[in-house]
Amino acid sequence: MHMGESYKRNWEPRRGGRSVSDESSASYYNVPVIHKPHWKWLIIWYFFLGGISSASYVIAAIADIFGGREGDRIKRVGRYLSLAALIPSPLLLILDLGRPERFYLMLRIIKLRSPMSVGTWGLTIFGLFSALSGVIQAAHDGLFGWFKPLNRVLLALPSTTINGLGAVFGFFVGGYTGVLLGITAVPLWAKNALLLGPLFLSSALSSGAAAITLVLSLVRGTNHRAIARLERLDTVTLLAELGLILLAQANAGPVISRPIREGWLGNVFRWGVLGTGIIAPLTMQIRAILARKQPSRHAAMLSSALTLIGGFLLRYVMVTAGRVSADDPQSTFEFARKPPK
Amino acid sequence: MANATINLIDKTLVGSIGSRPGALGFLTDTTLCIGCKACEVACKQWNQLPMDDFGWTGHSYDNSTDLSATTWRQVAFVEQITNGDGRVHEMPPFQSNWLMLSDVCKHCVQAGCMQACPTGAIIRTELDTVVVQQDVCNGCGYCVPSCPYGVIDLSPTDFKAHKCTLCYDRSKEGLEPACAKSCPTDSIQFGPVEQLLERAKQRVAELHASGVQSAYIYGDRSIGGTGGIEGDNAFFILTAEPEVYNLPAFPVLPQNKTGAAFLSMFGAAIALSIAAVATLRGK
Repeated sequence: MHMGESYKRNWEPRRGGRSVSDESSASYYNVPVIHKPHWKWLIIWYFFLGGISSASYVIAAIADIFGGREGDRIKRVGRYLSLAALIPSPLLLILDLGRPERFYLMLRIIKLRSPMSVGTWGLTIFGLFSALSGVIQAAHDGLFGWFKPLNRVLLALPSTTINGLGAVFGFFVGGYTGVLLGITAVPLWAKNALLLGPLFLSSALSSGAAAITLVLSLVRGTNHRAIARLERLDTVTLLAELGLILLAQANAGPVISRPIREGWLGNVFRWGVLGTGIIAPLTMQIRAILARKQPSRHAAMLSSALTLIGGFLLRYVMVTAGRVSADDPQSTFEFARKPPK
Repeated sequence: MANATINLIDKTLVGSIGSRPGALGFLTDTTLCIGCKACEVACKQWNQLPMDDFGWTGHSYDNSTDLSATTWRQVAFVEQITNGDGRVHEMPPFQSNWLMLSDVCKHCVQAGCMQACPTGAIIRTELDTVVVQQDVCNGCGYCVPSCPYGVIDLSPTDFKAHKCTLCYDRSKEGLEPACAKSCPTDSIQFGPVEQLLERAKQRVAELHASGVQSAYIYGDRSIGGTGGIEGDNAFFILTAEPEVYNLPAFPVLPQNKTGAAFLSMFGAAIALSIAAVATLRGK
């Protein structure tokens, strides 16, 4: 876009030395410029469970293909966990609709520029994969012995290929929730439109790895090497999450990032998300790595529980802080202050 | 502070709106508005909109405050009378220090709400206006944060999204919308966008000639309809910065970044899957 010569508008001087431009910094009686989304707990829980479901599916696929013998355990837990976390997801989403009985209208069309539309389709397809893999795993574990024809069909299906293909959609479901927030006019989200997808995806993977670790460490006689590998994945994804989250805060700037720095939410962000959810498990894991020790069962349980709490709080803070930033006129003005190039 | 933003306006884009041929729209000339709220009332009457929270804001003559699912025209009262002791001793000749603006859906040329809508409930009509089909909307609410102007909203009564339809039932029959019809000063004018735009340019030139140097068009590609929105079919003549009227100066179309955001997500997916393979690998 060609930028023409700039020209000055002369604002009419007002009484008492105050001009209109002085008033403008105060906004219109602090009335929000944009409308915030209605998203609350249902959506926060969906973001959390959908993240675990997609990530444990992806981890199951990778463990199945590359993990060797110990990968088998990870795969098994991953597939079951994916299905278990998936089942409430569509229910939460449908309950969040203003008119739940009309949910199927989302499957009427596909709009590639709408993350909500693409996401609905992605979740639907991923859901089919997750359910199929869960059932196949159940057949391999002998749970369908009572129904021979079905059992035979399920055992004949190429479970690794199905899991691998579904993992593509798993990655999508893990990250699109961040894109969904970013493609709005909400300043805190829109400013970080390119960062929220990667952030939610890495957080989903850390939550997924943590959830599988937690299950494995609760089962007696678990192979410690499987846990150690998952812990390493957790470490890498937590580091990515930490980097992205700090980048997003810096990118938002002092005005737009206010909700995650100040007040109650600021405290939840600092002590809950960063402290409890990222720094604490990272410290435990890195110390174990530096000491060249296998993490003990209890240590693995603790660090994965902390990671899960952090994953939930990250979603709580990002959704709620976005709503707060939408209510702040100065934040919206800041976001829409410069002419786009 | 905010003054600097206005100086950055691209003059070549002043008065340019990318409407399709045959587009109908509004010109809301705030210099003619007397704050009678006839438009608000007429809109509620014609569209049979229920009343809002019957509250008292206590901060101005404006008790409807904001556009909502049940308020599709909303008159902002910007009272600019401060001279230290809070009293005005002498009125300036123009608008008695009041700025009034009857806000409405902008019927964007590229509409954020419409691009966000996953059910296809929000459509563009043959009049180039943006309308929510009430029999399709399922109240997902994604259009609400996708509007850069804060227009569309979910109704607390039927849980679906509502906003100005530019009185589709009237305008398709050649009648002007209820708000424009009822406006006693013709502050709200209705018609083909090209015609309204010519009239707006003339009016701004007139205002400049009569000493109101601050008048300008809000809602073209230079200011108000920026960032891929390509202009608003409902635009305004303002005499102060957009922020004064609670309008964003340079809004952007959220969906500009959909492709880039998904690409960045898939980039992260590739990097993270390499990390996962490296950490989970075994014999």
